[in-house]
Amino acid sequence: MRGPRGVDFLGMPREIPREIETTDSPAGWPAAVRAVASLAIVLHLLGVILPPLAGPPPASLLANQAIQPFRPYVGLLYLGHGYRFFAPDPGPGHSLRFAVIQRDGGIVEGSIPDADRDRPRLLYHRRFMIPEKLAALVPPPDAPAQIRREAKRDWLPLVRAIAGELLRRHDGLTASIDLVEHDLPTPADMLEAKRAGEGGEYLGDDLVIPLGTFAVQVESDRPTLPGGGSPR
Amino acid sequence: MNSPLVSTAAGTLPAAGQGGWVAAWNRFWFTPADPLPLALIRIATGCLLAWSSFVWLLDFEAFFGPAGWLPAHETWRLNDQPWQWSWYFAAGSPAVRMALGILTLLAAVATALGLATRLAAVIALAGLVSAANRAPLNVFGLDDILGMLMISVAVGPAGSCLSLDRRIRTGLAAGDAAGPSVSANLALRLLQVHLCVVYFFSGCGKLLGASWWDGMALWGSLANAQYRTLDLTWLAAFPLLINAITLATLFWEVAYAAIIWPRLTRPWAIGMAVAVHLGIGLAMGMMEFGLAMITANAAFVPATIWRRWTQRHRRDTV
Repeated sequence: MRGPRGVDFLGMPREIPREIETTDSPAGWPAAVRAVASLAIVLHLLGVILPPLAGPPPASLLANQAIQPFRPYVGLLYLGHGYRFFAPDPGPGHSLRFAVIQRDGGIVEGSIPDADRDRPRLLYHRRFMIPEKLAALVPPPDAPAQIRREAKRDWLPLVRAIAGELLRRHDGLTASIDLVEHDLPTPADMLEAKRAGEGGEYLGDDLVIPLGTFAVQVESDRPTLPGGGSPR
Repeated sequence: MNSPLVSTAAGTLPAAGQGGWVAAWNRFWFTPADPLPLALIRIATGCLLAWSSFVWLLDFEAFFGPAGWLPAHETWRLNDQPWQWSWYFAAGSPAVRMALGILTLLAAVATALGLATRLAAVIALAGLVSAANRAPLNVFGLDDILGMLMISVAVGPAGSCLSLDRRIRTGLAAGDAAGPSVSANLALRLLQVHLCVVYFFSGCGKLLGASWWDGMALWGSLANAQYRTLDLTWLAAFPLLINAITLATLFWEVAYAAIIWPRLTRPWAIGMAVAVHLGIGLAMGMMEFGLAMITANAAFVPATIWRRWTQRHRRDTV
């Protein structure tokens, strides 16, 4: 198939612009080089395609077995992505609400991320990913007890590390952390809020999941972090 | 013996003994191409990676230190260890870690400028991968897409035009008329196919979600206060418009891998990509991600268009 404007069906220029010279031979690479390059291309593309196939569930046993020999290559080039942007559904946003009791008795309360303090916006997003990724591990409070127990084994070490970072930053003795799932209003909720009040800011009922209170382990005068702690 | 010949952009490829599929494969991957689009992608990607590297530096020890938000020994919980390597795992002191962070930033700047381009791109890619693998709690789509872009920049002759390398090699008067090459085509093709994979799986993932079918997914994104940088909640009064934008986004993303290739539909596919990603950038505060996706889409804009654009720009600035 040919295109009339200098590019063909696949976007290749039908003619090289006159102002640029051709440095490769017209025939391109020799057949042997093309064969080796073709093999490399196929392997690379398998490394690109298999991770999203074997990625976030649901995923097939075939894809999960096929990706095994590619794991070193996928890891080497950071190709292990599912590419499920805003999928399956754009859900509610999350944040971590914390309260740190400092060594001098003061209390620091805050949120991760903090839109007012986390500037530039890319830094906000880097910190925003902390509660978003934790939320994927923490089941809702009404989940069966066994599921919550098993999930806790995964998320507790991460929360403990975050508590350690908060204690370090704020010279704290204890840090209490809650995961907040922010209510996602429906269009009807939003219209009602706009009708009800001047300014119409929607104030929904956020779901708060306590993750624990963590304390510094004091070995000498210097706190050892991340702390042990007594998660709720 | 005379071989049947397959016409290509810059000449011919021998097709003797080869079926149509083999010839098509060779034509797709091994036709010499103008490196100008790759150079433009290099500049944009280098700038984005330099910015990302700078932002990592703002909270550096918390991201990459031995403890921080995620201690090194806990990364296996989010990574596929031991394969997800990082030079920060081996960096023992804060000074070494900071030096590696600054090295990544400088390599990204050099990539954008086209200075020692291949070496700079490889170092910048290593820095990007190291950062992402050391701080998996803090990465998101931007890092995935920058990685995809940097692979092509590192593989192809991205510094062969619009670069300091070119200026140093040929002098200031030589312009940017680098010759077409197979490796430029290869790098662009890798990026094009990779981008199709990204959109395909992103679209397929959305097909699992009810809100993409009932047309309200867009609302779920713009009503999320944690993302929101532009208040578009007035759209609540226009549910049919929300439906239309949601469904258009879904169809475009699922179909992207098919409609981006034909010349007839390509401008629509790229135009929609620019609109969607600028929209995400402006309304959800993810401008870097949006720009990275638009940069990747630039791989589908024919070199002839870019060359006309750069020549016009040069005339305007002289």
